[in-house]
Amino acid sequence: MDEASTSASAGATRRAIPPARSGVFYRFTQQNLPAWKPAMTPGCLIAMFLIIGIIFVPFGLLCLQTSNHVAEIIHRYDFDCVPNAYRGNWQAYIKDSSISKNCTLQAKVLEHMRAPIYVYYELENFYQNHRRYVKSRSDKQLRFGAKYTAESCSPVHRDNNGSPIVPCGLIAWSLFNDTYDFTRGSKEIKVNRKNISWKSDREHKFGKNVFPSNFQNGTLIGGGKLDPTVPLSEQEDLIVWMRTAALPKFRKLYGIIEDDLHADEIITILIGNNYNTYTFGGKKSIVLSTASWLGGKNDFLGHAYIVTGSLSIFISILFALIHVKYPRPQGDPNRLSWNRKNGNG
Amino acid sequence: MEAVTRLVKIRTSKTTLAIGDGANDVGMLQEADIGVGISGAEGMQAVMASDFAIAQFRFLERLLLVHGHWCYRRIAAMICYFFFKNITFGFTLFWFEAHAMFSAQPAYNDWFISFYSVAFTSLPVIALGVFDKDVSSRVCLEVPSLHQDGVNNVFFSWSRILSWMLNGMCCSIIIYFGSLNAILVQAVRQDGRVAGFDILGVTMYSCVVWTVNCQLALYISYFTWIQHFVIWGSILIWYTFLVIYGLFSPAISATAYHVFVEACAPSPLYWLSTLMIVVTALIPFFVYKISRTLYYPQYHDQVQRANSKNW
Repeated sequence: MDEASTSASAGATRRAIPPARSGVFYRFTQQNLPAWKPAMTPGCLIAMFLIIGIIFVPFGLLCLQTSNHVAEIIHRYDFDCVPNAYRGNWQAYIKDSSISKNCTLQAKVLEHMRAPIYVYYELENFYQNHRRYVKSRSDKQLRFGAKYTAESCSPVHRDNNGSPIVPCGLIAWSLFNDTYDFTRGSKEIKVNRKNISWKSDREHKFGKNVFPSNFQNGTLIGGGKLDPTVPLSEQEDLIVWMRTAALPKFRKLYGIIEDDLHADEIITILIGNNYNTYTFGGKKSIVLSTASWLGGKNDFLGHAYIVTGSLSIFISILFALIHVKYPRPQGDPNRLSWNRKNGNG
Repeated sequence: MEAVTRLVKIRTSKTTLAIGDGANDVGMLQEADIGVGISGAEGMQAVMASDFAIAQFRFLERLLLVHGHWCYRRIAAMICYFFFKNITFGFTLFWFEAHAMFSAQPAYNDWFISFYSVAFTSLPVIALGVFDKDVSSRVCLEVPSLHQDGVNNVFFSWSRILSWMLNGMCCSIIIYFGSLNAILVQAVRQDGRVAGFDILGVTMYSCVVWTVNCQLALYISYFTWIQHFVIWGSILIWYTFLVIYGLFSPAISATAYHVFVEACAPSPLYWLSTLMIVVTALIPFFVYKISRTLYYPQYHDQVQRANSKNW
């Protein structure tokens, strides 16, 4: 009892065994680790914003320039390809298989396009990102075959006789089946339809021994048919289509043209307008585009960099002006909120 | 004594703290909002009935002024930041639903969402709540009026909470619409491939992880190896997870199969848009913070800057 009261009052009684006070663990438990405490001085901040601006603005200009060098031709054709007789009744036109769906489009090449030129089909108002649509597939069946047909594919998993549909699911059932052929005058332009899908899809998601069966043989036809003698890993259109798009407006790769297209050339596109987007008010377009190191034609990134960079420079100039016009020593007590209310500053 | 404590508590509606060291103080310690028991001369009964136990009476000063101040700031910051990071993440999902016909299709792979609060953003929050320090303990003891921040509830006022939430909303808008417009609809690489649902999800998620972690780095002003480790480590964990998860078979990883290694990493557009979006999302908060501490500082800002080693 005596020792306790002595130590409580004086606090100077030496302990028998002093604990280690220099170990790393001690510094950790005492929350006394070596630390960097950045101080925000106006000079440092002005310089930082200026540097961000100086890096971003030229970079944005570079991105814009790269995007401007990409040549793109876009033509919407679902409206123009309907013959005059059926302009008021598109659904009758598209569902009647006796009407020829061939359609010709003339496209003028405005600038020189260097190979490889990528051919895309662009759909609008098609919600490939709807939950029930995205769920309606069976990855196991695509890889390993019919015996893995899953309930997740319903309502398109078994046909009327109860045999499994390969590939099952709404995504496969709604396969896009418009066709495009290109001619330059009388010469045909060859479109390479191989290697348009992602390599991992071809090799690991779609089986080499899985063949389509019972596909699109019901009463409701959702899209294109598949050749039952070709395994799924070589059905590149299906593979491209089954990699679901993010938004209702999307493009998918159709093929690659390995020739150059020269400026002021007129190319003729022969379209097989088979796919029914008329029922749900969708739009179809064909896109020809080159690609740069940054990808396709998109000004957004360049503009965004320029905007952010300019904003940064503006902020740094603003802070510099404020600092010059209203200099105040750091830690000036006049800036404290209760002193300012008293009429100072 | 417990009757007195109860009286004070009810009539003044203030938080009460009671200190005692003996068995007769047990009632008072339990009645008060915070009971501090002192171990030693009169036994351990007071310690067992208390919320905090200290060894000597003079340690009370340190408990209140140092740990009280630190803990208040940490907890207030942690809660506000927690709201911010979850709003940033959750609202990107919400904006996506507007473009997916509100069909409840998540914008990201399921396991990304599951691991968000567990692996990618949890460690920085813990570091903020446990280790953050605005001023050293010496300054806390020298400037006792810093303790008044807690009494006046400066760091957890409604304006603070709502402005953190607003910050989260703005970040999510910038992240969502930035990723959308940068990645879609054109090709994302030189080989003409376009971005589908999977690439957009990875891009947006990467932006979210970078933004919330760098936001924390901008907020705190005390960097030890722990803070560096958790902030940059969390971002690294995200990329590591993406690579490893992408190696699992497609039956398990679904849309994430090889997506980073094959599709995103070789695409300059992915990295550049991440950089642009993250910087743009962080600028508003940073400008606000600078304006606040340089031109409209409050007392605690002054003390912090006056005691910063670089200054």
